[in-house]
Parts: sequence; structure tokens; C-alpha cells
Amino acid sequence: MNIYFRVAKNTWDEMMTYRFNFMMWRIRNVLQLLTVYYLWVAVTIHNGHIFSYSRSLILTYVLGVSFIGSIVFSTRTQEMGENINNGELSQYLIRPLRYLGYWFARDIGDKFFNISFALAELTIVYLLLRPAIYLQLNGTMLILTVVAVILAVVMNFFIGSLLGLVAFWSPEVWAPRFIFFTLVSFFSGGLFPLDILPVSLQHIFSLLPFGYLQYFPITIYLGKVSSQGILQGFTIAIIWNIFLYFLLLWVWRIGLRMYSSEGN
Amino acid sequence: MIVRYSIIWWKFTLGTSQIAFQSRFGAILFLLGKLLRYVFFLLFLMLLLSRTKVIVGYPLWQLMLFYATFNLLDTLPQFFFRNVYRFRQQILNGYFDNMLLKPLPSLFQPLFGGSDILDLFMLFLAAGFIMYAGIQSGHATPLHVFLYLLLICNSFVIALGLHIFVLGIGILSTAVDNTVMLYRDLTQMGRLPIEVYQEPLRGLITFIIPIGIMMTYPVKALLGLLSVQGIILAMVFGTGMLFVSLRFWQYALRHYISIST
Repeated sequence: MNIYFRVAKNTWDEMMTYRFNFMMWRIRNVLQLLTVYYLWVAVTIHNGHIFSYSRSLILTYVLGVSFIGSIVFSTRTQEMGENINNGELSQYLIRPLRYLGYWFARDIGDKFFNISFALAELTIVYLLLRPAIYLQLNGTMLILTVVAVILAVVMNFFIGSLLGLVAFWSPEVWAPRFIFFTLVSFFSGGLFPLDILPVSLQHIFSLLPFGYLQYFPITIYLGKVSSQGILQGFTIAIIWNIFLYFLLLWVWRIGLRMYSSEGN
Repeated sequence: MIVRYSIIWWKFTLGTSQIAFQSRFGAILFLLGKLLRYVFFLLFLMLLLSRTKVIVGYPLWQLMLFYATFNLLDTLPQFFFRNVYRFRQQILNGYFDNMLLKPLPSLFQPLFGGSDILDLFMLFLAAGFIMYAGIQSGHATPLHVFLYLLLICNSFVIALGLHIFVLGIGILSTAVDNTVMLYRDLTQMGRLPIEVYQEPLRGLITFIIPIGIMMTYPVKALLGLLSVQGIILAMVFGTGMLFVSLRFWQYALRHYISIST
């Protein structure tokens, strides 16, 4: 366990080393947040609400989803593919650690660094813009939100790892990731709440994993999900996590059988 | 001279296209991703407008015109200046030294060293969509169309200036990747009319980083909403941006230290 803690800490230290790059990355996140934030301000400026969202709810949604996105989507799994392609994987296979555990620890280090910056950014954005926001005071809802975020973190790790392991079969590791993130950027609820979509589409998206990465946790926080909806949401999210876990282990095993490297 | 440089650009582009199509599967996926991103945001705007009818005073087809023009001005520099995205690696592995030895202007290959042929499809799509949205908006006179095209050229010059800045920063600090992506995120704010943003952000992205001038002024001119002063201001910004960026490039070149050879 201590090894993985050291890996997470090393990731933190590594990010401190490349501070300029990281700062630029965070500035980019703030710009993306401001674009979405002002769009929703503009569409609620006359009526004070849109779809089933009051202005305070939708602005809390935008800020909340940005914070949850910082936690869920900060990952290092994209380096897995490069690792396999350039043969560095061989070095890890002889080390006394689990390869997937190593990357999960890297993810955790990366997430803590991102969370600390995201908190600071959101505080500054809040102090500058002073939006009316919705504060959830129900302890149960807050706990359920945290649990939903943890499930989302694990799910994103499984999906990110699977996209990395594509490298066992193809040197093209960026294109599948690009497609995935294009889909995620719209269907995880990062730009808009999924319940503004037609009901038939909502039913389809409730069965896919995307919505459980951002939309589900934030709507629990906003108190927009019924008890039955929460139960159903957690059930589907857990089923996806179990499925992706076993799929990842299977892909890792057959990938390793295919793997070969020269000169390492 | 333009013919000679065009031939050289074409040869660079042929080379990079061959690399891009080495993995046809990857090329198709990238193209599909770009297309999906384009369509999804369009559908999202239409969904919003189904409820609000107007956003900051613009109805559906005028907003579509802003979005389509943004796509053109987002894709056009990406198509021509694609090598900027490869520049960091070219500095790190010393290839930039090789570029400087060639009998070409120092900026030519860093900027035009191979276009991404995949962007051509998105360019045609954006151009077609602009024409359709322009017709649906129904305001355009020949003068407005002329001003629109003039300001599109001006926006391209602003984009050129901003890319030269990115290259200059790349020489001084090698931080090209995040800087160019920062530029992309800033331009993403131009997917919507600049009136969406409130002060001081609106002033910042109009006059400090001229995304507003670049992305929204052409459409405003087409809709007849831009004053003569606005047009002059845009042209001054375009020319000034190019001049300052070229000076910055020269400054960066003077401080270039070959770190890899």
C-alpha cells in the first residue's frame, strides 16, 4: 500500500515541477467554465428560469459540474497507451507492483492536485461573479453525492484504462480517446443537464455510462432526483463499474499475451 | 514568389497527409469526432432556442451564423497553421535548426509546414453552413457580404498574429502545446456572440485578446449591425496584431538557443 501512496505523492511532485503547463491547463478549464456559465446566465436573464431549472439551480449546476469534472476527468491513463507503444511497459512488469494499481495511484495524485486548484478557482469565480447558488444542507444527499462521485472516478479510470490498452492492438491510441471525450463532453452533462433532452433520449442516456460521470452526482446534490431515481442510478452505475472492471481485467490479460517489445 | 511558396506548402502538406493517412482508422475517427462535436453543439443551441427563441437578442438563424462563422475561423487557421501544433517537438529534437538553414523565411515552415487535410472537410462544411444560415438570416446586401468577407480576411490575419505569438513563446519557453490550446479555448468563446459575456470579460476578449473582433465582428457586419468605426477598429487591430507579432517573433529568434543540437 505504501508503494502506491509513494506513486501518488510522486505524481503530485511531478505536477509541481511542471507548474507552468499545469497553470495553463487550469486557465483553460476556467475559460471553458466561463463560456458555459455566461451562456446559461444569458438564457435565464429574462425569465429567471429555463426548462425545469431556476437561475440559481442552473448556475449551481454549471459550477458543480465543473468541480466534479475536475475530480472525475483528471487522469493519467492516457500515458498507458504510450507506455505500451514504446515498450516501457516491460519495465513495469518486472517491478513489484500491479500495473493497473500503479496507474490508479497516479490518477489519485493527479486528482488531488487538480482538486486543490479547482477549489481555489471556483472560489475566485464565485467571489468575482457572486451568482445566487443552491446550497444542499441535507447530510444524506451530500453523502450520496460523494459516493456518486467516487463511483464516477472509478468508472472513468476503467474507461480511460481500456482506451489506453487499445495500444496492445493498435498504435492509434489518441483517436479512440478523442471520440470518447467528444461524446463525454456532451453526454456526461458537462455542457447542459441531460433532463432538458426529450424523454426518450433521457431513457437511453440513463442506461449508458456517460451521465454517471457528472450529471448523476450533481443532480443528487441539487435534490432533483427522487429516492427511486437515486436507487436506480446507483444500481446502473455499480453494474457499469463491475462490468468495466471485469472487461478491463480480461483485456489486460489477453493484451499481455499479445505484447512484445524489443530492445528494452 | 507566391507560386513558389504555394508549391513548397503543397509538398509539405502532401507529406503530412501521407502520415495522417498511415492510420486510416485513426483519421476516420478524428474526422468523426470533429463532426460529432460540430453537430452536438448545434443541436444544443437549437434545443436552447426552442425555449428562449432569442439569445442576447439574436434569433435562431443569426446565432447559427455566428456558430458557423466561428467554425470557419476555428478550422481555417488549424488547416493552414497545423505545424504550430508540432513546433514544440521540432524545437526539442533540434529540427528547428534545420528549418532555419533552409532558404525560406524563418516563419514559413513553423507556420505552414504541412496542413491537415482532414480539416478540408470541416472547412467545406462550415462554408456551406454559412451560406445557408446567411440566406436564412435574410439581411445581407452585397455591401454587407463584401464587409463580411473583408472582416473574415482580417480575422485570419489576427489568427496569424496569435499563432506567431505562440511560436515565439515556443522558442522562448518551449511551452507551445498549452499555449496553442489556450488560444483554442479562448476562440471557443467566439462560438456565441460576444454580448453573451458580461464586463469586464467582454472588454478583455474584445480589446486585449481580440477574440470578439475576430469571431463576431464579421457576422455583425453581415447583419448590418457593425458601425464604420467598428470596421476601422477591427482592421487596425488586425494590422497591429500582425505587426507586433512579427516584432515578437524577431525578438524570440534573437534569443533562440539551440538546445538539442
